Amino acid sequence: AHLVRISYPGRLRDSTPILKCISPCLQLLPLSRYLLCEIGVSEPASLQLLDERAVYTAVKAAVCRAHGDYGAALSSISFAVKYVNAHTGVVFLRCRKRYYRLIWSALAFITSLDSRGKKIPCFFNCLHVGGTIRTCQKFLIRYNTEQLHRMLPRCRNEAERLEVQKAVRSCSLKCTRREEEEEDEWDEDK
Amino acid sequence: MRQADQRQEPAAYERLVYKNASEYHYMKISLIFEKEGKRLEAAFFKQLIISALRDLYGEVGAAFPFDVLKFDEASLTAILRVYSSGLVKLWSALTLLGSYHNESCAVRVTQVSPFLLALSGNSRELVLN
Repeated sequence: AHLVRISYPGRLRDSTPILKCISPCLQLLPLSRYLLCEIGVSEPASLQLLDERAVYTAVKAAVCRAHGDYGAALSSISFAVKYVNAHTGVVFLRCRKRYYRLIWSALAFITSLDSRGKKIPCFFNCLHVGGTIRTCQKFLIRYNTEQLHRMLPRCRNEAERLEVQKAVRSCSLKCTRREEEEEDEWDEDK
Repeated sequence: MRQADQRQEPAAYERLVYKNASEYHYMKISLIFEKEGKRLEAAFFKQLIISALRDLYGEVGAAFPFDVLKFDEASLTAILRVYSSGLVKLWSALTLLGSYHNESCAVRVTQVSPFLLALSGNSRELVLN
């Protein structure tokens, strides 16, 4: 990076040099924040009805209620639901870095999701805010391993214990899909 | 500006800027209805402003504290007090206020000042004898 000293003589009281960076500036990219949320429902069966459209409309309506026209317009700049997992209830929301707080604060006011004509009472739990999807994925892996560690002492029989231990050992960034399938198997055993 | 400075450096001046002149800002506004002769109570007036804030800034905006210090029912003028951080929100909400119970109305902001004493008079209404 080249640094150039530019000074304006006579204009200011003591001519302060202004440093200017000429190298290509990466800050021109629109910065975004990814909110990693978990949807909690009373009946696990109703999680199957989860889809991106329901989450999108619910979050938009909540922001409109909480922050008005101003908040709704600002937060909807490059707002998208990036990923929805109907089995575990994990949702990735993307928004601008400057306005992610509007969405974050409005998540607490969501009480139900409207999906295919049915109303699912639920609550949103924001687990992590990251700059990229990869950092959120890494956090999700760590979080899931911690959850599995917590489940281990509460296993009722040896088969379940082996399942959980296998799942914990296979946790890595490449094995995300496999790890989620093992979690589902354990849920079905219950 | 000192004589020594003027001789050494050309065109140097000093400007003192106060960042927080006052904690509150005071606004003198008047409510104008399309229909003449409408009267309003102070409570309805405050509710009108809160609904304007709610439309533009949502529940969070509507919860922002402001006070109606004085309200004149006959001429529909009022003096509002708001924290300096909320001045922009309140002023923009008043600007976009369009109707009250299906009746068109508008808000004219006469004076805004961080000091209440400044609202006691202005040069527009000054009468020189």
